[in-house]
Parts: sequence; structure tokens; C-alpha cells
Amino acid sequence: MALLDRIGVRKPARKLSAEQANLFDDEFLRQLELLQVIARRLLRGRQRAERKTRKVGSGLEFADRREYSPGDDIRNVDWNVLARLNQTLVRLFEEDEDLPLRIVIDVSDSMQTKTGEKLIYAQKIAAALAYVGLAGLDRVGLTAMSGKVHETLPAIRGKNRIFRVFDFLRNAKRGGPTNIYTGCKRVAAESSLPGVTVVISDFYDLEGAFDGLNLLRFRKHEVVAIQVLDPIEANPEDTGLRGDVSLVDIEGGATRDVTLSASLLEAYAEAHERFCKTLENKCKARGMPFFRASITEPFDDLVLRIFRMGGVLR
Amino acid sequence: MEFAGWALADLGVLFGAGAAVITLLYLLRMRRRQVVVPFAALWDQVTRESETRRLWRKLRRLISWLIQLILLALICLAIGDPRPETWLREPKTTAIVIDTSASMAARGDDEGRTRLDLALERARGEIETLGPADRILIITAGSEVEVPAPLGGESGSLLRALDEHVAAGPGEADLTRALLLARNALEGRSDPRILILTDGALDEAGVAAVDRCVARSDEEQVGEAGCAVMVVGQDLAEPVGNVAITAFAARRYPLDRDKVEVLVEVQNLGSNPASFELQVSAGDLPVGTKMIELAPGERRREVLPKLEAARETLIAQLAANPEDPNSAAALGPAIDDRAWAVVPPLDPMDIVLVTDGTNLFTEAALLILDDYVRLTTLTPEQGSPDHEAIVEADVVFYDVGGNPLPKPLPATNLVVFDPWRFLDSDFPIRKLRDLRSPRLSEQVRDHELLTGVVFKDVNMLGATSFDLDPGDLALVSHLGEPITVLREGDHSLLAIGFDPRGSDLPLRTAYPLLIANAVDYFGRREAGFVAAVPIGASRELALADLGIHGDDVTRLEVTPPDPNPNDDETPKLQRVRAQDGRFRLRALDPGVYRIEVMDGEATGTLVEIAVNQANTAASNLVSRLDPDALGDQAVATAPPEAAPLTESPLWTLILLAAIGLIGLEWATYHRRKTV
Repeated sequence: MALLDRIGVRKPARKLSAEQANLFDDEFLRQLELLQVIARRLLRGRQRAERKTRKVGSGLEFADRREYSPGDDIRNVDWNVLARLNQTLVRLFEEDEDLPLRIVIDVSDSMQTKTGEKLIYAQKIAAALAYVGLAGLDRVGLTAMSGKVHETLPAIRGKNRIFRVFDFLRNAKRGGPTNIYTGCKRVAAESSLPGVTVVISDFYDLEGAFDGLNLLRFRKHEVVAIQVLDPIEANPEDTGLRGDVSLVDIEGGATRDVTLSASLLEAYAEAHERFCKTLENKCKARGMPFFRASITEPFDDLVLRIFRMGGVLR
Repeated sequence: MEFAGWALADLGVLFGAGAAVITLLYLLRMRRRQVVVPFAALWDQVTRESETRRLWRKLRRLISWLIQLILLALICLAIGDPRPETWLREPKTTAIVIDTSASMAARGDDEGRTRLDLALERARGEIETLGPADRILIITAGSEVEVPAPLGGESGSLLRALDEHVAAGPGEADLTRALLLARNALEGRSDPRILILTDGALDEAGVAAVDRCVARSDEEQVGEAGCAVMVVGQDLAEPVGNVAITAFAARRYPLDRDKVEVLVEVQNLGSNPASFELQVSAGDLPVGTKMIELAPGERRREVLPKLEAARETLIAQLAANPEDPNSAAALGPAIDDRAWAVVPPLDPMDIVLVTDGTNLFTEAALLILDDYVRLTTLTPEQGSPDHEAIVEADVVFYDVGGNPLPKPLPATNLVVFDPWRFLDSDFPIRKLRDLRSPRLSEQVRDHELLTGVVFKDVNMLGATSFDLDPGDLALVSHLGEPITVLREGDHSLLAIGFDPRGSDLPLRTAYPLLIANAVDYFGRREAGFVAAVPIGASRELALADLGIHGDDVTRLEVTPPDPNPNDDETPKLQRVRAQDGRFRLRALDPGVYRIEVMDGEATGTLVEIAVNQANTAASNLVSRLDPDALGDQAVATAPPEAAPLTESPLWTLILLAAIGLIGLEWATYHRRKTV
């Protein structure tokens, strides 16, 4: 029975499991605190909320020039250039602002196979990132997305708001098919202030996974992709499953009668690896950090790995 | 086909119920176990398959269901215990009598198979038609009757016996005993039948045995075995030729024991002329050859004189003439193309010289032959025919001078000097006239008696010429009047018409040569060839014929020839009882048999005797059986139709088929590997 559960033969229980109910207990909080301390060391030397955004505005540090357009503040016109070159340019200054961190977590059915370990793992990562962000006085917002669900926790600030994050993660609706593109599109639409957007998902969306991430990047988000994988799902050969079965998509859809053989399972594992690798390469090629996380890896190790790589928090 | 187990209606019910259960189980089985996967789209990519495979996958389930139904049908059939109707008839008991005589080794068809091959093929056909309760007995009829396979119904052992223990051998088929054995073995058995497989080339006894067998079966008595004959190998487009050695013997020359004289009789039993080479060898050494041509049916005796052979055993072999492409075919089966001969021991000749003692030249000429002759000298008074020495003598010399010849003359080979000294002589060659101082003007130089003898310039006072009868040969003549005459008959007579005392012949070398030639000539005439023993399971022989004297001999040891000298097996020693100087020899293989006397006065005596086929009837390949005379009922043709299966019971085979089908289904359809 345990094997069946592990390979996802049985439909997962939709009720909140006991593990999820105790997901953010004191022990978890202590882990987050420790994580935050370590993260602070990694980010040492930088001032709070001093992240320089690409946005130009009212700061003091000169950033660039650009063509004048009607409506620009006339005080920013570079008169020297106008006098020398007869070109009307306005001076741009970098604006200092606090970091808007949006954590998008995939709550589709594919994240909830078996006992929902992938979702739990994703929730822990989201909570850790949020905690570190809040501790750094960044504005942290969360979004739970799927093809059916889209809930958003507006940006909050302050370390003591972490419990709102926990509540959101615990109580957000879940279920529905994976639809990365639609979810990202809504996130992009909702974000008036693009910042770092961390998307945590298994990305089991053949067509829309990269397109969704690329859309966020196109909307000036600094996208970080974290792919949560179950090794058994990635390589089902180890399940020992053979013979004639009906494959049922956990997210619904038609069943498919197949005869599972060792060669077929091996082919699936190769195709899965190929899919993940392609997605990773595409993301990295466009400057989007991509992390692959196995649920067997401790989540805090993953978080520290993310921080060491940089790009998420400063 | 009938069911000995469940009735067909019961089987139908059983099959229906079973089929319903199987179908239900299959419908349940069609519901596959569901496995929930998180990434069905990727599974779709991986498991995308062609239409053909999809169709096959669907068909596979249908085929599997059909296989299960077939399995159920087979099991139901096995429960029904089906049996062919032919199995339910009265069991047959058949005795197959196979002719294994020498003629069965001849070519039987145009494809090169032998007659025995055809007979075995027919026998196999009979065995393959065996029903479960049928029984077959195999008897081979060669020189000896054997039973390669006792009465049994297991076709495997019967076929094995045919393959391993039936072979054509030398000699004639002893069908009399074989058919008697078959009839006795079948007595009291159900539906008895005797099947005779022969080429019809039988001797008188064989033909008579077959006729008797057929006649008894025609009487249709209750329980009497039917008799069917199949003549094989007589339907050839080209008749088979055969040349056989029908006699082979050898003897030594009395005065030249290093040389042998060989007598070979060969006969062409085919319908075409035959050309071949006769080879005589002593051991491995060839000692004489001769090319021979025989007309169809011709029999010829060939004498090969003065062959150098120190050994006591000679082998005659017929070999194909390399210049005649038809020679090998004309020789036919090889079994009668080889013969053995043992050169008999040559005892010294018993010579009696009847003389008055006045002519020592004759006695001296005989004494120098001391190694070869046993000379007894008698006076003219002792020279009567009833004298013990003369009765036993091989040759008697009468050189009686002035004494009369005995009346009558002894019945043996005679050399008589001056027989007509007295007018009242009873000498069988009549006197022509007296001659004074004749000159020996003519002599037959190439006659063996005169080999090396020259009568030229021989002087003599007088002589008597002879009046020849037809058949008499004048060896020496005076102006056409015979003075020395040879008369051949049961006993030969050499008449010399002058007294050596009245001539200078004794002083010449011609005289001892003439005496020696006479001894040799008569000796060879009397010292006959020892005939070989014909092949047979029980040949009665006299010890005396083998040179063993003694009626007290009771035990003999016979060492047969080794048919395969190259293998490690040695021939099995035969211990034979002798009684009253006679014994029976079991001579089944041609060759040289060694016989050792184990008791009596002659203990330790060792003699050899040759055994040859030497049987014209056995070598004759032409059938002597007339199918028309046998009748249609007695002529066997093709074997009866084979039973569908020869093993019983049938249901075991059906179950085996079902198990095989299960194995096939398991190997090709791996549903049972599902975890």
C-alpha cells in the first residue's frame, strides 16, 4: 500500500493533511531564523532596501541619458548637451527602492501527487525565501497559481508578517491543472512594480512553462525558476511497475492504456530529463536562474544554494 | 473418432460453463489497473504508438481469449478420451518374416536401394500402422532364423530392432524354420497374420515353405494365421546381374609343395555377359589373377596351376574389369564374390613297386622321391590285387620282368612295364604287334608325364605296340605305332610296352624323370581338392574328412572367422560336441574356421576349414515365386492405412498440446509479468 502511495497509484486526499497542518511549527521557525542569519552573512555589506533598481527616477546617482519626450521634467534636460550638440536629452538617475519579491507557487494537482510532498517542499522554500526577504525589509508578496486557482497575498513588509505568509501558504486553495503561462500572465498583470519573481513549480507544462517564465522576464521581472521534482516521478523505473495499466492524469483528461515495460519506463525517464534540461537551458540562456530541487534534498540546503548563487536577494 | 470418457453432450455443457467463466474473467481482466501520473503529456509523447501496434494490442487480447477457449476445448476433449475407430477393432498380431539371404543385398530399385532396404521400408510401414493393442513380431530368415524383436506393440523398439539387427547375410533363407517359428508364435493370438518380405530368390525348400504357408492360410481355419507375401526388388527396368564363386579349392603339388593348384568355379547368374578379373591371394599377397568373360548363365571351372603360395589359406576374389564399365554391375552383390580355401595337408603317397628285383633302376628312381612317397616293394608273387599294400596304394608299379602280371589287375593307378610279355595276359590295352629294335620316333612332348623326358636315341631289343581304344593317348610311338599309352578312367593306367632291362633307358636321366612324372601325375589325380563347407546354421561334418582320426573325440573348440578384423572384438569361441567321429558346425560367416580337438587321442590337433557361400540358389537373384500362383489374397502390397496416432492414450497427447499452448501463450504474452 505504501508503494502504491509512493508511485501515486491512489488519488491524493484533498483534505489538508496533518503534515501540512504542522508545516510551519516552531521547529520550522527556528530553521528559518538560522537560515536568515546565514543569509545575512552571505548578503553582508549591503544596506537595507538599497537595492538599485533599473528604474530611473529621483535618485542622486547619474545613470544615463535619453531622448526628451513630452512630459519629462524639464529640470532634467541636459543643457550642456543641448548647447554642444543641439540634441535634447534628459538625464536619468537611478532610483533607490526596496526590493519587491514575489513568490509564485504552483498549487496544481501535479504538485500534489501521493501525499503532496512536492507541494510541501515548495511551501517550505516559499516560506524560507519570504522569511529572509521580510527580515531584509523587502516587500514580499505571494501568489498561489494553477489552471484553476489564482490567489495572491499582497506585498507585505516586516519580519513579524511572516505568519501571514504561513497562513496564506496553509490556506490557499489548491488543485487544478498546471498552467504556468496563464499564472505568470496574471502575476505580470498584477505587478505594478516588477521585481524579483521566484516561480516554484514542477513545470509539468509542456507548452507553457517556459513561455510563462519568459513573459515575466519580458515584463521586467527578474525571474528565478525553482523546479521541484520527485525522483520517483522523474525515473519511474525504480517503482518496479510493469504490465498493462491505465495511466490517469492527476490533473484530469483521458486515460491512456499502455503496457509498461522496462524500455518504456527508461524512455520516459530520458524524455523527462530531456524536458527538464531543455527548460533549464532556455532559462539560463535568457538570464533566468534555474534551480532543480529534488524533494529528497533538505529545503534549507536548497535555499542556501540559491543565495550562494545570488540574484534572488541582496 | 469416438469418446471413451465423457459423452459429447456432457462435454458440451462443461465447455459452455468453462467458456462463460473464462469470458467473465476476461471481461474483468479487461479493466486495467489505474496508475495516476503527474505528467500525462510526457507519457503521451513516450507511449505514442503506430496504428498497427494499436491494432495488434487489441487483437492480442482477443487472441489471448481465444487461446484460453482453445485450452478449455482441449481439456474437455482430453476428458472425453477420444479414440480413433481403428483402435477399437480387434487387435492384430503380425509376424513379419524378413528374408535376409545373400540375394537381399542386391540392388532392389533404380534408385540404388537394396532389396533389403525395400523390405525394411515395407516393414516400417507395417509398424507405423500399429494400433494400441496391435502386436508385431519380427523374424529374420537367413542362414539362421533370428528374432530381432519379440512380440510387442512398442513401435520405437520395433523400428530400432529393424535398424540395428536386420542385415543381409551370406547363405540362403531358411524360410521353413522361420515360418514354423512365426506360426507357433502366433498360435492363439487374435487376428494372426504372417507377412513374408522376400525377393523370391529362394531355394526349393524356401519356395515350398512359402507355398505351404499360403496354402494353410487359404484353408481359413479358425485361428489360422493368414499368410501374405511381398516380393521386393523384382520390378527393375534393368535386371540385376550377379557372378558368384560357386566353388573354390586348392591343393599342393605332390612333388612341389611350395606350389598350389587352385580350382575356382564361377557362374554368371545374370542375363548379360560378364567380364571380370579373378584374383587369388594368400594372405595379403596376390598369387594369381585371370581375366574371365562369361556368357549369361555360363558356369566355368578355372584351374590356376602352380601358384606360389606358402600359406595354407587362400582367398579368391572377383574384381570388376576396369576396362568394362558394366563389369561392376554384372558382378552384383559382393557377398558371393569372395571365397576362402584351405590347402589340405598332403600326406606322402603310398607307392607299391612289384618287382622281381632285377631292375634296381626303378626302385632307385622311386627312392629318391622319399620325401613325398611311402614306398612298399613287393615280389611278383605278392603283387595280387588283394594285397593290403596294393589296396591302400595310390600308384602301383609293375616291373615284374619274366613274371606274369596278376589277374586281375588291382583297381588303382598302374604303371606297367612290358605287359604283353605273356600272350595270356589280361592287360586291358590290347597288343597290336611285337616290334624288334624299335626306334622311339614320336613322343607327346607337352604332356605332363613326359615333362623333361627325351626318348630320342633310346635303344631297345624289342617292344610291344598297343591297339588303342578311343580315349587312349599314345605318348611315345615307333613310326606311328604306340609303345607307351595312357588310358584315363576311374583309375589311370600307363602302359610302357618294353622292358627297361632290355633297353638303355634306365641309364638315361629320362628314366627317373619319367618315374617321378608318373608319381606326380597320378598323385595329383588322386589327391583331390577339399571342398569348402557351405554356409549353414548346422552343417554335419566328419572328423575324418578333416584328417582327424579318432572316434573317441567328444569335444571340439571352433574359432569362427573374424568378420571385422579391424575392430577390437574377437569372434566368440564355439564349443562343439562330437559323436562317432561326426560333429555339427555352426557356419554363419564365410571364412576360415579353426577347429581344435579337446579330448581323445587327437587332443590338441588343430585343423582349418573354409566356409563359403558356394550356393547357386543363394546367389541367384531371380524370383522363383509366382505371384499368380500365390493368389491375390497372399500377395501383400502397400501397408494398411496408418492409425492417426500410434501412442495411446490420446488424451495425454491432447493435454500435452494444451500445456504447450499455455507455454507458448506465456512466452509470447507477458501479462503474467505484471507487478
